[in-house]
Amino acid sequence: MASQNPVKQKEVVEIEKELSFGPIHPALLEPYRIRLFVNDEYVEDCELTVNVAYRGIEKLFEGLPIERALVIAEKVCGICSNVHAFNAVRVIEGGLNIEVPTRASYIRVLVHEIQRMTSHLLFFGHAFEVLGHETFAMRSFLLRETFMDLMAYIGGNRVMASVPIIGGIRPRADLTEPLKKTILSRLDEFEDKYTDYVNRIMADPMVMSRLTGVGLLSKDEAIKWYATGPTGRASGWDFDLRRDMKEYKPFDFKVIVLNEGDNKARVVARALEIFESIKIMRQVVKNLPEGPVVNRQWIAGKMDYTIAYIETYRGELMHSYGLDEHGLIRNYKIRTPTITNLAAMEQACIGDHVTDAMVTIASCDPCLTCCTRAEVVEKGRSRVMTDQEVVRNYGWRH
Amino acid sequence: MDTISFTLLLIASSVIAIVIATLYSLVLPGIERKVQARIQQRIGPPILTPGFWSVIKFTYKEKVEPIAQMPRLYKCSVYLGVVVVAFLLLFSTPYWWAVLSWGSILGIVGLLKIEEVIYVFMGSQSQSILSTSMPMPDLAKGSKHIGTRREFVEQHSAERAIKMMAIGSLPIYLALIVPFVVGKSILISDVVSFQNPAFFSAPWYGLPLPSHPILFTVPGFLATIPFFLGYTILLNEKPFSILKAKIDVIEGGVLEYASTLRAAYYVMRNLLLFALSSIFVTLFIGIPFDPFTPFVFLLNMLLSIILPVCLAVLVAFSPILTFRQIYPVAIGLSAIGVLAMILAVSI
Repeated sequence: MASQNPVKQKEVVEIEKELSFGPIHPALLEPYRIRLFVNDEYVEDCELTVNVAYRGIEKLFEGLPIERALVIAEKVCGICSNVHAFNAVRVIEGGLNIEVPTRASYIRVLVHEIQRMTSHLLFFGHAFEVLGHETFAMRSFLLRETFMDLMAYIGGNRVMASVPIIGGIRPRADLTEPLKKTILSRLDEFEDKYTDYVNRIMADPMVMSRLTGVGLLSKDEAIKWYATGPTGRASGWDFDLRRDMKEYKPFDFKVIVLNEGDNKARVVARALEIFESIKIMRQVVKNLPEGPVVNRQWIAGKMDYTIAYIETYRGELMHSYGLDEHGLIRNYKIRTPTITNLAAMEQACIGDHVTDAMVTIASCDPCLTCCTRAEVVEKGRSRVMTDQEVVRNYGWRH
Repeated sequence: MDTISFTLLLIASSVIAIVIATLYSLVLPGIERKVQARIQQRIGPPILTPGFWSVIKFTYKEKVEPIAQMPRLYKCSVYLGVVVVAFLLLFSTPYWWAVLSWGSILGIVGLLKIEEVIYVFMGSQSQSILSTSMPMPDLAKGSKHIGTRREFVEQHSAERAIKMMAIGSLPIYLALIVPFVVGKSILISDVVSFQNPAFFSAPWYGLPLPSHPILFTVPGFLATIPFFLGYTILLNEKPFSILKAKIDVIEGGVLEYASTLRAAYYVMRNLLLFALSSIFVTLFIGIPFDPFTPFVFLLNMLLSIILPVCLAVLVAFSPILTFRQIYPVAIGLSAIGVLAMILAVSI
């Protein structure tokens, strides 16, 4: 009986040749391997290989006191450093029922959205670099400076702002009245420039011809291949964890869902999300309640294995760990959105021109190094493998 | 003029033209980069750095043997390219117009075709470590499609070069024909004398200006469009840089050129940038690159900046197009070229 599954079934096609790129390649921002199986210029199949930069960061957490672990959590990723710190504290706050002051929760949301802007604008920079349009890429980096500055004003650092701590935020990251005014004025200034930028992109026929109808990923495929974040929402999958997060309840914003499922939709989805983030940030600053920014009334003790999910810039991020009776971390696990988007990326490339396939992969906004961890559990003991060990143990087929 | 005097003057004009053109062409990439940088709100590199100093720098770099199927052939290809482009430049110097087919459109088209074929040679030879031969466990158990033929990215670039030869370069050839149709001759001297009748009778210190530049006629203007975009295609610049799309094939066939070979490649590319521009000024405006008429010579050099500057603007505002877009664009440009030719008949 023929399959009733609406998801397209993979046809068996004869492959003419294989083209492989990376992990060392001048155009790849991070080390990963792309193997494209092509006929003439058209991609028939794709294989992405990650795990070429083992870091074993989860192993580093093992046995650390929770405060020290948070310092490491922030360093999981350079682009989305804040969200890892944010979600790491949400785990213990959920597990030990630690109350977070409202003012702190607002400021956490503000910093989270600021970093969403930097991430999305970095995405534009990378996507247009891959597309070959340097001017749009450069403009994106110029626009991004607004939010790098705001991060530095709030947290004291452009990349690792270290704002969330258990029970609230660092007191130095509290918003002062002049800082609130600065944020609002910078947002106004940014919004004007950014609107022009987006209009320019949408009006550029050459750019649109490269993006429209390329890298198609239907809603059914997005769900089947576990696409998450803007990648899934650009294929019509209406899901955003922020709608369910208690931190976001006070704010009014729209979840951007597009149905086209092509590269253009993935770019446009992020472009429109930026406007929604601006809306959220304005609400935070204007409605910021008075009160303390940190709750110190907690003691790290035994905590069961607890999971926290958050809607990060690329999709759903999971952090989970337990604490032993001394408050030391056990079994830290992280699942970044790129891990779940990998299969969707492989699928979306199929049928594209080789050069378009690279844009398709970039349009899913992969962040690979923070998702590459290889840990092997043998006889009850875990250890992180090196690439040489992987090759030696699992071998190559000659 | 007897044969010996002619030969001596021919050699002298060639040497002067090539030396000055080469030095001048090394400034053009700096101008290009400055224009692009200004558009992108950057300062950009110093004018001499991308062309002149990078060539000097690569000349002194440690010699690195390219990884190629036939390294000698691969190394020769770039020098062959330099020679071909240098000869191409000589089409805009009047002494060569008397030598066999150097004075006609046939020679220009022939040499441009050789220049295009060189990219196929380069691509099919180069085998850098950045793709297939990278030590990665690609063929480990469980990987997809084991046993499929594995191709180097440069070889893929060579296949793209063949496609570009087939269709991508058609517009510039059609555009090149237009001045010859207007001049009703296949000889460059006739095209120049049609536009600039005073040139052949002017003294060495004179500055004969064209009275009927083809550029300012309807067919000439129309032909300029396919010529300019064809110029971009031959130089493998954006939006037509699919041969060397950084994101997949990196630099294409020239990937393995390092040190002196890389310097030679830069000379080849920059000289082509100037040579085609100089040919445009000669054929469409009627101002040749004549080393023995200094003011005309300087005017040709000055006007030859226009195309590289336009190219820089185009590059700054363009993404890389794939064959999905290149085919229709090339067909459209070819149609404009044919229209220009038809209109040129009526002049």
